[in-house]
Amino acid sequence: MNVSDFTGTFEYDEDGFRTCGITGLNIHKSAEDMVKLFGVTAIVALLVGGTFAFFVAMTRWELVGLLSPSDFYKYLSVHAWYLLIFWMVFMEIAILYVGGPFVLGRRLSLPRVAQAAYGMMVVGALTITYGIWRQKPPNWAPLLTSYVPLPSPAEFYLGVDIFLLGALVAAIPFLATIWHWKNANPNKTLPLIAFGAFITSIVAAEAIIGGLITFVPAFFWRIGVLGHLDPAWYRQMYWIIGHGSQQINLLAMITIWYFMTHVVGGAEVASEKVSRFAFVLYLFFINLGAAHHLMSDPGLSMSWRVWNTSYAAYGAMVASMIHAFAIPAGLEVGRRRKNLGGGTFGWLWSSPWKDPGFSSTVLSIILFGFLGGITGVMMGQMQLNMTWHNTLAVPGHFHATVATGTTLAFMGLSYYVLRLVFGRNWIGGIIATIQPYLYAGAMSVSVLMMMYLGILFSVPRRHPTVMDIPGTEFSFAPGSPFFAVFGIAAVFAILGGALFVAIAVGTLLFGKRWRGDETNTHGLLNAPDSVEGEPHDSSMKGTFILTGIFFATFVVLYALNWYLLSQIWQIGP
Amino acid sequence: MDEHSPLESPEGSWWDKKVNRRETIWLGISGAWAISIFGWMLGWTEIGEQNQMGDTYKLSTEKFQQKVTEFKEEADTTTIDGEEVYVPAGEDVYIGALQWAWDGLPVVLEAGKTYKFHLGAYDVQHGFSVRNEDNLSQQISLQMLPGYEWVLDMTFDDPGTYQVVCNEFCGTGHRTMHGKFFVREET
Repeated sequence: MNVSDFTGTFEYDEDGFRTCGITGLNIHKSAEDMVKLFGVTAIVALLVGGTFAFFVAMTRWELVGLLSPSDFYKYLSVHAWYLLIFWMVFMEIAILYVGGPFVLGRRLSLPRVAQAAYGMMVVGALTITYGIWRQKPPNWAPLLTSYVPLPSPAEFYLGVDIFLLGALVAAIPFLATIWHWKNANPNKTLPLIAFGAFITSIVAAEAIIGGLITFVPAFFWRIGVLGHLDPAWYRQMYWIIGHGSQQINLLAMITIWYFMTHVVGGAEVASEKVSRFAFVLYLFFINLGAAHHLMSDPGLSMSWRVWNTSYAAYGAMVASMIHAFAIPAGLEVGRRRKNLGGGTFGWLWSSPWKDPGFSSTVLSIILFGFLGGITGVMMGQMQLNMTWHNTLAVPGHFHATVATGTTLAFMGLSYYVLRLVFGRNWIGGIIATIQPYLYAGAMSVSVLMMMYLGILFSVPRRHPTVMDIPGTEFSFAPGSPFFAVFGIAAVFAILGGALFVAIAVGTLLFGKRWRGDETNTHGLLNAPDSVEGEPHDSSMKGTFILTGIFFATFVVLYALNWYLLSQIWQIGP
Repeated sequence: MDEHSPLESPEGSWWDKKVNRRETIWLGISGAWAISIFGWMLGWTEIGEQNQMGDTYKLSTEKFQQKVTEFKEEADTTTIDGEEVYVPAGEDVYIGALQWAWDGLPVVLEAGKTYKFHLGAYDVQHGFSVRNEDNLSQQISLQMLPGYEWVLDMTFDDPGTYQVVCNEFCGTGHRTMHGKFFVREET
């Protein structure tokens, strides 16, 4: 037994490369080491953030009422930063290093820069945590937004600056790798996954620069160097990173969708042109979509708001709708061409539903679209925004996108990182099979409850008690049955998340060596295309029906939201 | 090796390849939908009755507080359910948000009459979250910023009690920040 048997890692040739038996990728040790480091750190962040989720959810379920109001905001801040930022961004850097060096078969350029970036991100994250944890008046918990002039501890702003700078630096080795590949291959087009990762990095850089424009002055304001920051200016700048960071998630997730449906399900690219066009739409439009955070703000003209939610947000919406078709269509034609299912939905029934890598990915696609995407467009309409703004429906929306959609995609990817990068088969057997369904099902129920409570019962977000408002008889008691369902679903969702962490950590410690063979690659290894011609010649009727159901749901929910708005008193001219 | 893999560089002129008919139809649906919902939103600013559009003025927080104080001094008062409430002297209603109370509230308004709501904050950011107590889904939220006065027309058709809470985090007392106003039939 040699060392690699014990650690489960793979052996590299003298140049530091190895060939992955499943994906056929040439992987260099320099890239693989960093993917492991960033990936494991992301899962640690998930563990911390998920633990705090329990405290937050059990406070909002007031029957339990776990935390005092001041503790609630502290815990909520930790929960938000660890899940919305650290879990996401550490994983996204890993995804960049998969999408660049792995896919292009190159070593990671500037590995020392990647290590320095990792160090900065960790220091930044710990500084943020320290800032949140030692918060006491006159400082307040920052939550995710830390809107000026409500002050948060100076360490918090400093930590954010260090973290953001680290994340920006982490993109440099990726971009340098792309640069070197392009110089070596001037006439080749980037593979779709690498192209998606490349667009992700640009959108990320834009967002992070916006974040530095916000948080560097905020730090100097907090330590007294700057006398005043305009709150409207802060909001507009903040949301470049505040929502922009979530657009990084979106693009990374979609890149993962293409990757995972291909590796685990045998998907092919239905149309390079259409999928790449959709990524380019994101490049131009998605960061401007962040303007929807300002729809119910003073100081912005109607035309500014309508312009930024129209050309901008809808450019991005069209892109998402294109991917929503292109990815299942790729799976459909890929499996049809490999004779893995005929009829309308045969390709779907024959899919590896017991494989948590596959089920996580498909659940991510469905739930992100139905629960997260549709609601995002709703609140991005200027007038509808009044009914969503700062209600519990907003956390409902982003728990559908980030905490359900993107988190499931990253979980699915992680299952395969355990196999393909760490060389270990996941432990848990049937528990690993059930985990994505448990997490997805429970999260779906809890986000639906949050949306109902916000829109139908006008329950505000960021309130530890809405059943008992000091100084008034008024309360949101009619919503309490929904809170009960929310609370129970949240417990199951956290259990589902905990199972994932347990399986991941257990696999690293106790998992059996995995090298990939016919028994666990769903027959894809020996299923070359059995059909002549191109993917676009195959039928996409199954996907067309599925996206038709999605579109019908979209139209119905859109109409319902406008109906509710029309029932409100007259506002404006 | 799969030549249509997303992990491989596409060969040849991938831009000129055909797109599946159903995918083309979906592209059309997506584009048409984007234009439709944009058109609806724009149209609602003309025909709809709920548009959060109104003038904004930059002014100091002290100046805005002074305006709210003047509003209260000019207003009559009456008693509803044993509580003293303001009756606006004219069509203007001033509401100032502060840690952790609502200045200018409670007021009583006439149903069917158009008021100009002047919204602003004295210290940090707050949220003007209003709902009809008898119909909780009749609700809106508007941002309130220190240094800004936002003037919005509002006309209430349904008499009743409208409950106001803050929905922008403004410190630990945030949850206690509660106010209300009443809408009464014309007398």
